[in-house]
Parts: sequence; C-alpha cells; structure tokens
Amino acid sequence: MSDAAPSPMLEIRNVTKRFGQLSAVKNVSLSISKGEIFALLGGSGCGKTTLLRMMSGFETPSEGAILIDGEDVSQVPPYKRQVNMMFQSYALFPHMTVEQNVAFGLKQDKLPKAEIDAQVEGMLKLVHMTEYAKRKPNQLSGGQRQRVALARSLAKKPKVLLLDEPMGALDKKLRGQMQLELVDIIESVGVTCVMVTHDQEEAMTMANRVSIMHLGEIMQVGSPSEIYEFPNSRHTAEFIGSVNIFDATVQHVGTESSQLSSEDLDCVLQVEGGINALEGAHVGVAVRPEKIYMSRSKPEQGENWALGKVHDIAYLGGHSVYHVRLPSGKVVMATTTNVDRHEQRLTWEDDVYLYWSASSSVVLYQ
Amino acid sequence: MSKLGARSVIAVPYIWLLLFFLVPFIIVFKISFAEMQYSIPPYTELVEFVDEVLTINLNIGNYYYLIDDSLYAKAYLSSVRIAFFATIGALLIGYPMAYAIARADANTRNALLMMVMLPSWTSFLIRIYAWVGILKNNGLINNGLMSIGIIDEPIALLNTELAVYIGIVYAYLPFMVLPIYTNLVKLDNSLLEASADLGCPPWKTFLTVTLPLSKAGIIAGSMLVFIPSVGEFVIPEMLGGAETLMIGKVLWQEFFNNRDWPVASAVAIVMLLLLLVPITFFHRYQSRELEA
Amino acid sequence: MQTGKLSTWSKSFLSVGFFFLYAPILILVIFSFNKSDLVTVWAGFSFKWYGELFRDPQMLGAAWISLKIAVLAASAAVVLGTMASIVMVRMGDFKGKTAFTSMITAPLVMPEVITGLSLLLLFVAMGQSLGWPGERGMLTIWIAHVTFCTAFVAVVITSRLQELDDSIEEAAQDLGAPPWKVFFLVTLPIIAPALMSGWLLAFTLSLDDLVIASFVSGPGSTTLPMAVFSSVRMGISPQINALATLVILAATIAVFIAWWFAQRSLKSTTVVGDD
Repeated sequence: MSDAAPSPMLEIRNVTKRFGQLSAVKNVSLSISKGEIFALLGGSGCGKTTLLRMMSGFETPSEGAILIDGEDVSQVPPYKRQVNMMFQSYALFPHMTVEQNVAFGLKQDKLPKAEIDAQVEGMLKLVHMTEYAKRKPNQLSGGQRQRVALARSLAKKPKVLLLDEPMGALDKKLRGQMQLELVDIIESVGVTCVMVTHDQEEAMTMANRVSIMHLGEIMQVGSPSEIYEFPNSRHTAEFIGSVNIFDATVQHVGTESSQLSSEDLDCVLQVEGGINALEGAHVGVAVRPEKIYMSRSKPEQGENWALGKVHDIAYLGGHSVYHVRLPSGKVVMATTTNVDRHEQRLTWEDDVYLYWSASSSVVLYQ
Repeated sequence: MSKLGARSVIAVPYIWLLLFFLVPFIIVFKISFAEMQYSIPPYTELVEFVDEVLTINLNIGNYYYLIDDSLYAKAYLSSVRIAFFATIGALLIGYPMAYAIARADANTRNALLMMVMLPSWTSFLIRIYAWVGILKNNGLINNGLMSIGIIDEPIALLNTELAVYIGIVYAYLPFMVLPIYTNLVKLDNSLLEASADLGCPPWKTFLTVTLPLSKAGIIAGSMLVFIPSVGEFVIPEMLGGAETLMIGKVLWQEFFNNRDWPVASAVAIVMLLLLLVPITFFHRYQSRELEA
Repeated sequence: MQTGKLSTWSKSFLSVGFFFLYAPILILVIFSFNKSDLVTVWAGFSFKWYGELFRDPQMLGAAWISLKIAVLAASAAVVLGTMASIVMVRMGDFKGKTAFTSMITAPLVMPEVITGLSLLLLFVAMGQSLGWPGERGMLTIWIAHVTFCTAFVAVVITSRLQELDDSIEEAAQDLGAPPWKVFFLVTLPIIAPALMSGWLLAFTLSLDDLVIASFVSGPGSTTLPMAVFSSVRMGISPQINALATLVILAATIAVFIAWWFAQRSLKSTTVVGDD
C-alpha cells in the first residue's frame, strides 16, 4: 500500500497557509492514493488540523493547490466537495434522530426518498446501529455516537473521508476497540481516508502510512514501521516512542560500515553502511531502548557498548525500562522483557554493561 | 458564508442601530445648543440662511443655565447618590442570594433562578405601584404598626428618599442577582477545595478566592443597577414625592411640563457624560462576554 | 461551584430575598379581590374590580394597542437580535465591530428618559426634513421598542450561540448544505428555545415600557402603561390591582411555559457526557 498509485486520490501541492504573520502550514506536498488510510501525526500547533481543514474546505490555502481525484478544489466551498469529515466532537445534530443525522447529507443531494432510506439503512447496518435509528444523539454512549458520526460521513460515499482526532472524545479503554472497528469499516467500504491525530499509537494502529508534522512542515512520511525503525530526524525519533540519542562525530565513512565517536562513550560507535556526511561532521546516533542489551559481564564486541550504573527502574509488568547512568552523566534507557518470574534482576546501583548491534543504530542528520 | 449574504447580515442590524440609536444622540447634542421658541418644533435651527447668509446659532445658554440654577446640580448629585447607595443595597441583598442559588443543586438552582426572574416579567410600573399601597400613611406598614400600638400616628414613609431606595432595590434586584449568579456558578469547586486544603478557613477563602473571582459579575450587576437608576423616572415620581430630586424627573418635567426641549437635551447630554465612565466600564465587561 | 444541600445561612438569605420580592406582589393580588374602595382595608371578597376593569374602554383600548405593539416589536427584535448575535459570534472581526457591540450593549443600561428623548427628537427631525414619520403613534413606538428590545434579545441569543459547537454547523456544510441552509436546518432549530425566550423577553419589555412610549407616542396611541400611570397618578385604585393580578397571572403562565420549553430542549439538545 505504501507505493503511490499512478493517479492519487488526494494530492496536496506545495500548500502554504498563513494566518496573518503566522504560517500554520509551510509548503506541504503529499500524495495519497485510493483506498489508503493516511495519518497526519503531530503535537498541538503543528499544522495538522489546518491542513485537514484545507482538505475539507473550511480553510483555503494561501499558496499551492489541493486536488481531489485530479480536480483542483482549492477554492471549492466545503458543501460542494466530495469530501466528508468525522469531527472530533462528532458534531451530531442534537435536534435530529440518528436516522435523520445519517440522512442529512443525502437530502442535500436531493436524492429520491426511497434511495435515501435504503442508503441510511445500509449505513446503520454497517456500523451496527440499526436498532438505535430513532434515538437522539444525547441518548447514545460515546462509542455509539462515534459510529453514527462515521455512518453520517460515509453515507454520501465521499471520495475522501477525513477523521479529526477520531478517538479524541472517547475514554482510553474504548479506544483500542474502536480503532480496529473503525479500520474494519473503512476498509470494507474502501474509502480513501485521512486522519489527524496527536496519538502515535492510534496513528500506527490505524494507518497504512503516517506523516509526522512539526511546525507546519512534514518531517517524514512512511509506513508505521519505517517511521519507527528509520526515523530521519531527531524530532521524529523522539516523537515516536522513546529513543537514546548520542551526539557523535563522524570518524570514518565506509561502504559496509562507518565509525563515529561520542563524548559519552569510551568505545567507537559503529553503524551499518555509509553516512551522508563528511568526516568530522556532527550528527546524532539513535538507538531504541528495546534494542539495547544488558549484561553483568563485558560483551565480546569492541564497539557499541558502555558501562554504567542502574539509576532507575520502571517496572511495567510485561517489560521493565532501566535508566542507566554512564560515567559521562548521560542516562541511557534500555528495556528488558520480563520472561522469567524468578529471574535475578538487576537492581539499583548495579554495574551493568550495555551493548547493541551496528544494525540497530540510525544516524540522524538533523 | 457568501460575501453578499454576510454583508447583508451585518448591514441590516448595523444600519438600524446607527439610525435609531446613534443618530438620535447626535440630534440631542445638536438641539442642546438650540434656543427654545414657541413653534413646531419648539426650538431654533442651528444652521440658517438669514438674508442668504449662512449663520450658525450656537447657543451655550442651556448649559450655562444648568450651572447657574443650582436645582440641576443638586438633582445630578442626589441622583448619583441615590443610585450609588441603592446599588450597594441591591448588592448586599443580591450577592448572598446569588451565592446561595449557585450552591444549590442543579434542579433547585433553575427553580430558584426562575423565582428571582419572575417578578421582573411582570409590570415594572405595577410593582412600584404595589409599594405605594404598602408605604403610604394609611398603608399596610403604618396600619400594622398602629394596630399593634408601636406608633400612634403614621410615620412618613411614602414620598421620602427611603421609599426611593426601597423602590430601586426592589425593581433592580434581579439584575444584580443574575450576573453574579452566572459568574459564581462557573466557579470551579476545586479552587475552593484547594484553598481549604492549603489551610484557609471558609470565610477567608470567600474573601480571597470567591469574591475576587466573582468581580466581573459584581461589576456587571452593579452597572446594570446603577446606570439606569441614575436616570430613573418612575420610581422617584411615584415613591419619592416632590422632595426627592432626581435628574430623570427633572428632564421629564423640563420636556413635558415646560416644553423646553433644548434644556431637556442639555440635561440629557450632561447625564450621558456623567454616565460615560460607568457605561464604558459595563461595555468592556459585556463585550468580553459577547465576543468570548 | 459546590452543589448540594442549602446551608441554614443560604436558606435565610433566600427567604429574606424572596419575601422582599414577593410580599408586595402578593399584597397586590390579595387586595384586588377586596370589596372596599380603599386599597388597604379588607372588606370582604369580591370580583367587582375585575368587572370594572373589563368595562373600562380606555384601559381595554390601551391594552389592545400595547399588545399589538409588543407582538410586532418582539418579532422584529428577534429577527434583528438574531442577526446581530450571528454577527458578533460567528463573523469574526470586521471594520466597525467595536462600534457595533457598543450599540448592542449600550441600550441595556441607557436611562429610559435619554432613549425616549433622543428618539423623539429624531422622529421630529425626520418629520421636518423628510416628511416621515408624519405623526407619532404606534409606528414610532414600535421603532423605539424594536431598538431597545434588540439589545436584550441579542444578549440572550448570543449566549446560546456561544455554547453551540461550531463543528455542528461545519458538519452540516461538510455534508453539502450551503450556509443559508445550514442556518435554517441546523442553527435555527437548535437555538429555537433561545429565540423563544428572547421573544418573550422583548414582548414583556415592550408591554412594560412607560417612559420611552410616553416620549414617542402621539395622540390616539396611549399604551397600557401610560393609561395605568395616569390612573395611579390620580390616586390608588383597586382596578389597577385587578389589572396587576391579571398581568402577574399572564407573566407567570408565560414564564412557566418558557421554562418548560427550556427544560425540554435542555433534555433533547445538549449533548451530555457518556452514559
């Protein structure tokens, strides 16, 4: 799915949005193919919501163009776009029943009544809400409201479905369940979907492709595993999951492997393949905590290791996160899976060797 | 919204208010510089062509007259004084009521609030009239006091300043309660709990947390009582008697009895200037509420 | 704010306050059924003052005029007030917005004598220069009432509009309804209870106004408060008590209906938390 199809369903071409002096979205380009579930992920104020509102038509780009199915819709008002949105608050019409809510969009198209009824019935069936058809939104639970909102935005068979923080209004327990249910429904309909979220877990669970936004710019686009395993910047690496980053200087650039030095480590840092930087350049080397091994005895490898003291332990049940302080003062995180119940675990102030393989480290240039 | 649609939605109320709210004040201002004359309308034109020469008759005599005759200064002063003390009276009765209502549970709250508002949905005039029957010499209070022998002859209650105070507090009390209530009900209870948790006794919590946070409501309520009270006509006319001087009554008499429109206009302009500060104060609060 | 059972303090504050508010009204009602001519001496139960009230052509005529003006003024004020609220809540910034909000809020507190005088002078000046309005009467009272009622209606509707989630209107647009349709299909039904209470408020304000109407009325357009005022100036009359009782009865019924509507719409239109 990650390969872009020849003609994208939604294309963002060099879009910039300014509010007065402030640029909320800066020269963003994206291409989303038919049937894809695409997530815009970022913290608050990163511009993801503004981008979504430009797709739906509530904002117009200051520069650039938005194309849906090859047609430039940049100046088309929201009520004339074949794009429908599921709002964060769901925005169900409080004075209408579930049925009337779902039928609202179809009525705007002046479809014959029989067709509207059939369509509404089908949609309610799809989201398992048939028996609640006559209820008003305030008589529904949060999860039920979300289903109605989804049915309402799918009823018009939009070319693109937009989801604004889809789980934002649900409590945590319900989220996991609804995430998968939502994906099932979206995939069964086959609609192209763009979602906005600040929750990385949600983005990675639901989307085929994720883009990380920061300060109005897109930092990285890729599948969830690409983003996690091969972050291209410090920001992405730190935003998704937890990470250890060593400030390092490039020593030697090779084809099989390259070497770097870090003030935090006594040994050489080795990474797989070449580095796109000259010798002497300053870069970051990122290693995820679960890729760091811990041992009481010195590892055999000559590179990518360190000796430290256990500074803090976070026992999380399934796994534990160890914070190990190196002689330089840097604290490195390492996780272990708690496989054995009676294992003699490392404890506070224990000396511990950390080591990781060259293929686990990622060089970050920015 | 489409450009044209949006513009007309703005334009209709805007033009109405300009024409029937702003322009009238400009005309009052203009006529306050005219001279009274026995004609229709009973004032002179400011700009005239006399023998084909444009002449402007600017007459500041009306304002001089207001200064010269101490009646006006007294009337302004006593209006402000009466409005001020009546506002304080309304605040002293209204704040505890608003506080009590805000602390009730949601259902009781709505019922109580409705009970506060209900009297103001009945006629203002009739509510003031009710007090005439209570306060007059052979009214309920005097009759009652005489029948149980506390007094031998009626005490003068009607046609006193006291009666005016009672009337204003009575008529404007809901306008004090409502904004304070709106403010207090929004107050997050955890703030009070935090204060108690940090060792502050309830009375001190009230003074240092509740009261400062309800300031906006107190200001709005006070302005809603004070400003209209300054220009009040019905209450001093019906309860205050000839002795009580209030500027609204003076303006009314100037206009209806003396038919001196220019002086009435000057009285109105000076009253407006007097109220400019409280009105801006109120407006600042209210526009924050409206635009927030 | 902490909710729960009222403390003794709260109860006594409320009792004193409500006694103060309701005792005079109660007395008024009781003495409307008094047989005696004297308002304050009880002489037995009778409906005679109600009979006299309904045989008084002046009062009835004035009441009819007041009702007509109040219905028309309230209706126009609701239209203007709704437009003004939308301008203030939904239109964002535009040139002259400050002036606009000032003109909406100022009438709330403007002393009636000033409003009355200024409007009269406007009508006189317009009559002089434009020949319209030729004479003062119901039309000029209507204009005056619409103007000051609009401010009150705008406050009521504005607070309701602010509570309304923007995204509900956006959702309607997103589903294909152009702005004017969004307003009529979504916004208006949701704020209908506010329009209703705004209308009732404007209606009572108009029905109640003595001062402004006195300034801008003309011969043959005596409103009910003007008739009542000239009658009580002559001295106290139990007939006014009878009228007062009817007004209070009508107001109470109206308020209960409005309250019932508000409660009902509160139940059906606010999106409550998860259940």
